[in-house]
Amino acid sequence: MDLASIVYLGVTFGMFVIFALIVIRTYSRKRKDEGEIAKYQMLDDD
Amino acid sequence: MENQPYNQAIVRSFVNWSIVWGLVAVLVGVIVSLQMVEPDLNFPPYFTFGRLRPVHTNAGIYGWGVGMIFATFLYMVQRLCKVPLWSDKLAKFQLWFFNATIIASAVTLLLGYTTSKEYHEMEWPIDVMVVILWVVFSINIIMTILKRKDEQMYISLWYMLAAIIAVAILYIVNAAAVPVSLFKSYSAYAGTNDANVQWWFGHNAVAMVLTAPFLAMFYYFLPKSTGVPIYSHRMSIIAFWSLIFMYLWTGAHHLLWTPVPDWIQTLAMGFSIMLIAPSWGSVFNGYLSMNGQWHQMRENYLVKFLILGITFYGLQTLQGPMQAIRSFSAFIHYTDWVPAHIHMGTMGWVSMIAFASIYYLVPRIYGRELYSIPLANLHFWLILVGQLIWSISLWIAGVLQAGMWNAMNPDGSLTYTFMETMVEMYPYWWARSFGGMIYMTGLIVFIYNLWMTAKKGGSIAAQTTVETTTVEGRA
Repeated sequence: MDLASIVYLGVTFGMFVIFALIVIRTYSRKRKDEGEIAKYQMLDDD
Repeated sequence: MENQPYNQAIVRSFVNWSIVWGLVAVLVGVIVSLQMVEPDLNFPPYFTFGRLRPVHTNAGIYGWGVGMIFATFLYMVQRLCKVPLWSDKLAKFQLWFFNATIIASAVTLLLGYTTSKEYHEMEWPIDVMVVILWVVFSINIIMTILKRKDEQMYISLWYMLAAIIAVAILYIVNAAAVPVSLFKSYSAYAGTNDANVQWWFGHNAVAMVLTAPFLAMFYYFLPKSTGVPIYSHRMSIIAFWSLIFMYLWTGAHHLLWTPVPDWIQTLAMGFSIMLIAPSWGSVFNGYLSMNGQWHQMRENYLVKFLILGITFYGLQTLQGPMQAIRSFSAFIHYTDWVPAHIHMGTMGWVSMIAFASIYYLVPRIYGRELYSIPLANLHFWLILVGQLIWSISLWIAGVLQAGMWNAMNPDGSLTYTFMETMVEMYPYWWARSFGGMIYMTGLIVFIYNLWMTAKKGGSIAAQTTVETTTVEGRA
C-alpha cells in the first residue's frame, strides 16, 4: 500500500470514530427526551 | 388553506413543472424501449437511442426528481422551521432557471453534445447553469433553516442539508473539465482516476439525489398522513449518520473487475454491504411507525404509496449490495438485470414517494379537495403493476443473458454467439415496453386527476376540513 492508500484508510477509520461518538451521544440517557422531541413538534399544525 | 404566510405559489409551480418533466421522462423511456425491439423507430440524427436515452435519464433524474426535491424542500422547510421562506424572489428565479436548464440540457443532448459521462452528460455551459441553480436553492434553504423557531431539527431537515451539501461537492468535482469550445470539454481526470471519480459521482447521485431527499419526504409525509409520529427519531438520526458515512465510499462497486486498484474495489464492496444497516434502519422505522395504524393501508391511499415506496427502498437496498459482491457482479454486470434494479428504485421507491408527496400537497396548494380518490387508487395499481412487469421481466432477461454469455463448450469456446443472446432478449424487451406503457397510463390518470382537482375539485373552506378528511386521503 502506498501513502495515499494509508491516508484513505486512515480517514475512513477516523470517520468511524466520529460516527461512534455520534451514536453514544444520541443514545445517552440524558438526551432521551431531547432526542425525540422533534418528531412531536413536526406534527404541530402548520 | 394555511394560516402562516408561507409561499405556496412556488411549491405549486415546482410541482406542476416536475410533473411535466416526469411525463417527458416516461414518454421518452417508452420510446427508447420500443427502439430496442423495433430499430426502425430510430430517426437519425436527433431521435436515435443514443441521443434519446440520456434525455430520458436526465429528464427523470433532474426534471422529475430534482423538480420534486425543489417543490417538497421549499414546502417542508417552511413548516419544519415554522418560518416563511428566506427569499421568495430567489425561489422564483430558481423556478425559471430550473426550467431553462432542463430545456438547455434536452436540446444539447438531442444535438449530440455530450461528455459521455453517465448521468452527467451535459456539457460545461450547462454544468455552470446547474451550479448556479443549486447555489441559489442552497442559500434559500440554509438561510431559512438558520432562522428556524425550534432548536431541534427534525430528521427531514438533516437529510435536506446533507443532500444540498453533498450534491454541490459531487457535481462540481465530477464536472471539472477543460473546455476547448462552447460545447466541448475534456475531463480534468484521466484513465482509471476519471472512471473512479465518475462512479463516485454516479453512485452518489443515487445517494444524494434519489435517496436522501426522498427519505426526507418519507419522514415528513408519513407522519403527516397517518397523524402519528415516527417510531424513533433517535433511530432515524443514527440511520442518517451511518448512511452519510458509508454511502460516499461505495462508488467503486461499479468498477469491479476493472483496472481500478483492487483494495478500492474491496473497500467499496465492504461499504456497500454495510449500507444495508442504515437503509433498513429507515425501513424498520417506517414499518414500526405503522404499529396500530396498519388499517390505514386500506383506508388511506397516501399511506399505500408511502409504505409501498419504503418497501421498494428496502428491496432496492438489499439487491444493490448483493450486486456489489464481486462474484455476483461478475455474473450480472452489463446484463439487463441492472436496469431492472435501477427502475425498481426510480419507478418504485422514488416515484411512489413523489406521488404521495404530491397527493398530500395538492389540497393545500390548490385549496381544493382531490377530484377522485378512486382514480388515485387506480393510479397506484397501474404504476405498481407496470413497474413489476418492467423489473421482473428484465431480471429474468438478465439471468438468461448472463447464463448464455458464460456458457462454454467442453473445448473452452463460447456456446452462444452474442447475436444469439440478443435474439433471446426480444420477448423480455417487449414485456418491458408493455410494463412501461402501463406505468405511463397510470401517470396519465394521475395527471388527469390533478388537472380536474385544479379545475373542479371541491373548495376547501377551512384547514380543519383539510386535516380531517381530504388531506389524510381517507378512501
